[in-house]
Amino acid sequence: MSQPTPPKMSARNVNVYYGEKQAIQNVSIDVDTDNVTAFIGPSGCGKSTFLRTLNRMNDTVASARVEGEITLDGENIYSSGMDVVQLRARVGMVFQKPNPFPKSIYDNIAYGPRIHGLASAKADLDVIVESSLRRAGLWDEVKDRLKDSGTALSGGQQQRLCIGRAIAVEPEVILMDEPCSALDPIATAKIEELIHELRGRYAIVIVTHNMQQAARVSQRTAFFHLGTLVEYGSTSEIFTNPREDRTKDYITGRYG
Amino acid sequence: MNAPVSPDALRRQPTDWKGDAMRKRIASRYASERRFRRIGLAAILMSAGFLAYLMISMLSGGLGGFTRTEIAVRVDFPKAPIVIDPASLRGEGAEAVLSSVNWQALTDQAATSALGKDGAWIAPGAWLVVRDAVKADPAILQKSVTLHLPASAELDVAAKSEGQPAAEAAYARLEKAGLTSRAINWDFLTSSDGTDPTQVGIWGAFKGSLLTMAVTLLLSFPVGVLAALYLEEYAPRNRWTDMIEVSINNLAAVPSIIFGLLGLAVFLNVLHLPRSAALVGGLTLALMTMPVIVIAGRNAIKAVPPSIRDAALGIGASPIQVVFHHVLPLALPGIMTGTIIGMARALGETAPLLMIGMRAFIASPPGGITDPATVLPVQIFLWSDEVSKGFVEKTSAAIIVLLLFLLSMNSIAIYLRNKFERRW
Repeated sequence: MSQPTPPKMSARNVNVYYGEKQAIQNVSIDVDTDNVTAFIGPSGCGKSTFLRTLNRMNDTVASARVEGEITLDGENIYSSGMDVVQLRARVGMVFQKPNPFPKSIYDNIAYGPRIHGLASAKADLDVIVESSLRRAGLWDEVKDRLKDSGTALSGGQQQRLCIGRAIAVEPEVILMDEPCSALDPIATAKIEELIHELRGRYAIVIVTHNMQQAARVSQRTAFFHLGTLVEYGSTSEIFTNPREDRTKDYITGRYG
Repeated sequence: MNAPVSPDALRRQPTDWKGDAMRKRIASRYASERRFRRIGLAAILMSAGFLAYLMISMLSGGLGGFTRTEIAVRVDFPKAPIVIDPASLRGEGAEAVLSSVNWQALTDQAATSALGKDGAWIAPGAWLVVRDAVKADPAILQKSVTLHLPASAELDVAAKSEGQPAAEAAYARLEKAGLTSRAINWDFLTSSDGTDPTQVGIWGAFKGSLLTMAVTLLLSFPVGVLAALYLEEYAPRNRWTDMIEVSINNLAAVPSIIFGLLGLAVFLNVLHLPRSAALVGGLTLALMTMPVIVIAGRNAIKAVPPSIRDAALGIGASPIQVVFHHVLPLALPGIMTGTIIGMARALGETAPLLMIGMRAFIASPPGGITDPATVLPVQIFLWSDEVSKGFVEKTSAAIIVLLLFLLSMNSIAIYLRNKFERRW
């Protein structure tokens, strides 16, 4: 067997509290670039909460408290030396509801590179915008109307714009929080295709309610229940031969 | 659960959607809808009626204030008791030469010789017209010319409405002789307060209002917006911020005269800023306006969807970038609405400015924010208190100017707000 590559991100014994209430109990998980990782589980199981600890979006919730260790390339992201702003550029995020800025399509993509100083000249920025939109599979649809507002696009296009906006800053990890739950099946298929194409270049973590989607897009799946990580393994194994009864009950639709 | 209910009671009758009771219910629903619409319409009509009444009474009473009655008087300069070399009025020392002449006596004499005893009906300030005529064209010193001199306040009132019997009679005589005319009173727009209603103008108070509003806006807008941003985006939620929030809400409801007393105590007595100045007026009104802007600003900031904040944070914008690139631009229309309300209130405010001495008699327009000044509403208040009947229409005219000021200020603000409004 070949030496496995070290994980891009790894969590060890992570607990998350909202005030007194514990939302995540003792979760340990590794995420790598070669595989798309899916988090599945019933509503309220903590999968989104856990996802948001990976780029410290929970910092914006005053009552949230995180214990344990989460590392990005071996560096603890909750240590005092970690710059949150840079962390969030390296660990990008796509949200459940498409949330483009009420600016032009061009400015939506260009915003991240601009604030991080990734492009000095207009021409560089143009290249970043085009390549990001191409990779987001949106270029052909919007290349003639880059000045139009991003909010004028359809829901699926908006979500791809948001993915394009996330990859424009060349992150290392992309977190997707139920990115297709507000989209129709065709738009969903496009996003799933996009996730396939982005795999290998970025470590991708996707939270989904839709088990078929998890089976389609991911190589590894983590099943969360009541704030604990019940089972984590290769997607095919989780779906065909789960070790835990709770996993089996969930994926066969017994509850959820 | 209580005692078990019999199965018969649980079995419900099918709803009768077509029955009389249902039809009656529908009819009464429509009736109440119509009633509500009519009441709303009546409310609109009533307020429109009040507004129309206000506008009509203001315009009918006030437009006369922008005109003046003039009497044609023949001035025979060669026979007048003055000696001026017309050449001396073209050089450097023209002002000195002009001010050495007793224009008042000249004008009175000319009026008396032209009109007999009706010469007394020209305005006390009529000599200014004579002087300016000579200044504009020194050649008339060698001629006899007809000048249109402003009539006195009494005659003006008699010409425009009901005046005293003596003035009415004099006006009838002069009108019959074809000597009277009506002209736009440009002096009303360019001069300041005075003792004679024919000589007063609105420019001093207008400029005072302009300067005061500038000070108010420059102070209250940035301070109010920054306070709102800090309270919404940065301040921790604890007892202190709760207390600040309650204080600001209360501050917005404090009667304005209290702010005047505060201004008097702090700006004049402690800081020794100049009395009656637009600076102090602006500071006082800024205290009053700021809470309004803070409250409107906080509501506007709260209304910015959290998804936009998430989006910006999610690609690594720092909190200050989130605020200035996304939250503030989206909240700006709402903040501007609050600012319009606050500034409109400040513009019409009289009471606090009385407390800091802006009710003084100011006969020249302020040169800067530290010069003694008065503002339009205070000027209106002062003129409405005058005994002379000539001030009545001046008061109405000043109200028209104040309303126009307000309208143009709000129009600019609404234009700016619509410009910043983003389409979703």
